[in-house]
Amino acid sequence: MERSSNDKRLMARRAAMLLIAGVLALALWRGASAQDPAGKPDTPPAPPPAVTKDCGEANVTVTPLPNSALALQKRQQVKILAIGASSAAMLGMGHDGNPPLLEEILERNIKGLDVEIINRSYSGELAEAAGERLKIEVALNHPDLVLWQVGTNDAFAQVPVENFEQSVTNTVRWLKDHNVDVILVGLHYMKQLTKDEHYQAIRASLQRITAAESVLRITRYEAMEVLARTMRESGRPEPRDFGLTEAGYDCMAQYVARAIAVGLFAKPPKPHATPPPTR
Amino acid sequence: MIRQANAIDFWRGFALVSIFINHIPGIYFERLTHRNLSISDSAELFVFLAGWSLGLLVSSRKGELTAPGLVARLGGRAMTIYAAQILISSIALAILASAAYAFDNPLILEWHNAAAAFQDPALTHIGLVLLTHQLGYFDILPLYVVLMLAAPLIALIDKFARPALVPISLLLYVSALVVPFTAPTWPVAGQWFFNPFTWQAIFVLGFALSRDEGIGAVVRRKMRLIKIVALQIVLVTAVLVWFNWFPDPTRLPEPKLLFLNGKSFLTPMRLIQFLALAAVFSGSYAYFAPWVPWLADFLSSLGRNSLNVFCVASLLSLCGQIVRYLYTGSLPTDTIIVIGGIGLLRLTAGVSEWRDRRTTNA
Repeated sequence: MERSSNDKRLMARRAAMLLIAGVLALALWRGASAQDPAGKPDTPPAPPPAVTKDCGEANVTVTPLPNSALALQKRQQVKILAIGASSAAMLGMGHDGNPPLLEEILERNIKGLDVEIINRSYSGELAEAAGERLKIEVALNHPDLVLWQVGTNDAFAQVPVENFEQSVTNTVRWLKDHNVDVILVGLHYMKQLTKDEHYQAIRASLQRITAAESVLRITRYEAMEVLARTMRESGRPEPRDFGLTEAGYDCMAQYVARAIAVGLFAKPPKPHATPPPTR
Repeated sequence: MIRQANAIDFWRGFALVSIFINHIPGIYFERLTHRNLSISDSAELFVFLAGWSLGLLVSSRKGELTAPGLVARLGGRAMTIYAAQILISSIALAILASAAYAFDNPLILEWHNAAAAFQDPALTHIGLVLLTHQLGYFDILPLYVVLMLAAPLIALIDKFARPALVPISLLLYVSALVVPFTAPTWPVAGQWFFNPFTWQAIFVLGFALSRDEGIGAVVRRKMRLIKIVALQIVLVTAVLVWFNWFPDPTRLPEPKLLFLNGKSFLTPMRLIQFLALAAVFSGSYAYFAPWVPWLADFLSSLGRNSLNVFCVASLLSLCGQIVRYLYTGSLPTDTIIVIGGIGLLRLTAGVSEWRDRRTTNA
C-alpha cells in the first residue's frame, strides 16, 4: 500500500518534471534564439516554467538575477549558496542520497547548466549571526546567488522587528555591493500562526525589505497558503499541517527553480533617466 | 572519592553553563556570556580543557600505561562519548517530534537540521550513526569523539617524539586552512560545523600546555611577559567585537581563512585570542575561589561530571527553545529557563556523583 502510494507519487513527480522540462526547454530555446551578440536576451522574458498542479500558482515576480545570468553566460555554471534554518525548505529533499530537488530541476531543464549548491544551513541561527557567517561564506565560496531562508527563527526568538529589519537589510545591501544575487525565502505558513502578532510583524518586515531593496522573495507563506487551498479545492480532505510541510518542500524547490529560471533570463530594469537638476 | 573543587573543573563548569545559555538563541541572558566581548567562546574553552585533562591523565599515569593500555583506555572513552552522542541525538529527535505533534506545529521538525531525519529517515539514520549527519547544536560531541579517537596517537607522539607533537598539529591546522579541507556531512551535503582538522590544534595545545615539560614549561617560565601581551590582545579584540570592527572578508588576502574570524575552521584570529584569554585568566581561580567558595564548588561539580552535564545541557537547551517559542521569550520566561536549567544541571552532577560513590562503595 505504502509502496504503491510512493510509486504514484514518484510517477506524479516524474510527470511534473517532464512538464517543467518542456516549458523550460521552450523558454530556453526562445531565450537563446533571441540573444544578441553579447549574449543578452533582447526579447521579453519567456513564460516562467510551470510548477506541478498540486503546488498551485505561486506568485513569483520577475526579478532579474544579473550576476547569476553572467555566470551562466561565462561558465555555464551557477554557484548557489544556501543559508538559513532549513535547507529542505529551500532546496527540496534530495531523497535516497540524490542531490537536492532544486539542483535536479535546474540542471534537467536548463541545457548545459551546471548548478553547484553549497549548503551552509545551520539551524537556530538568527538573521544577525547568519548575516555575519554569510559574508565569510561568500568570501570563501564566491557564489553567484545566495538563497537565504530568514525570519522564522527571529520570529520565534522574539527578536525586535527593527533589529531584524536592520540586520537583513544590511546583509542584502552588502551582497548587492559584492555582485551576489540574493533570493530571500520567507516565513512558513501555519494556520495557528496567522494571529501571532510578532510572527506577522516579522513577515511584514521581510516584505518591506524585499520591496525596498528590489530583491526576490520566495513567499513561502503565501505558497503554503496556495498549496493548502489547492488541496482543499481538489476535493481532498483538509490538509494537516504535517502533510502540508512535506508536500511543501518539493513545491518550494519548484518555486525557487522557477524564480531562478525566470531571473536568469529576465531583462535588467532600464536605468531611470537622470532627472533634470532642480533648484 | 570525589575530587576537590579545582580550576580545571571550575572553568569546565563555566563553559558548560555558557554553552547551555548560548544554545538558546535569542535568550536574554545570552548577552551576558563572555562571547559578547570575546572572539572565541565557550566551545574553544571546552575543547582546550578536554586536551588539558588528557594531558593530566597521561602525565599522572606516566609509566603505568603501556601503548596498548593507552589505546584501550582512550578508545574506551571515545566510545563512551560516541554512545552519548547517539543517545542525545535520538532523544533530541524524539523531543522535536513530540513537540511538533503536541503543539500541532510541523515547523519544529525542521529545527536543528532535523528535517532530513524525518523526511529521508533511512539514509539520515545511517548518517547519524556515522556522525556525518549532526543536529544543530549537537555537533560538538562528534568533534570530541574524533579527538578522543586521535588521543592515543597524540599520547604516543608525546611519549616518543614530544618536540614533534605541536609542530605536527599546527602543520595539519595550517594545511586545513590553506587548502582548505574539512569533514563532509552526508546525506545532506555540507560540512561539519566544527572542522576536526583545525579544532584538533586547540585540543593538542591544551594537552601540551598542561605538561610541566616542553612548551608547557616554557610558557610557565615566561608567564608574566605572556600575560602582559595577552591582556592587550584581549582588550583590543574586546573593542573589535563590541563595535563589530572586522574587515570585509572578501577584501582579505588569500588564503582567506588565515585572516578571517570563522568558528567552523577555528581561524588563527580565534585561536590566538582564546590563548590570550586563557593566559590572562590562568591562575585567577586561586584568587577568587576563596571569596566565592559556593560558586567554585557549584561550577566544579558541573565540570567534574562534564559529559553527563553536557548531554543534559544540550537537551535542556532544546527544551528551552521550545518553551520560549510556546510562551514567547521574555525576561521572566528566560529567567525561569536559565535558573531551572542550571538547577537541573546541578542535579545531574549530584546524581552522577551519588552513583559514582555507590559504585565505589560497592
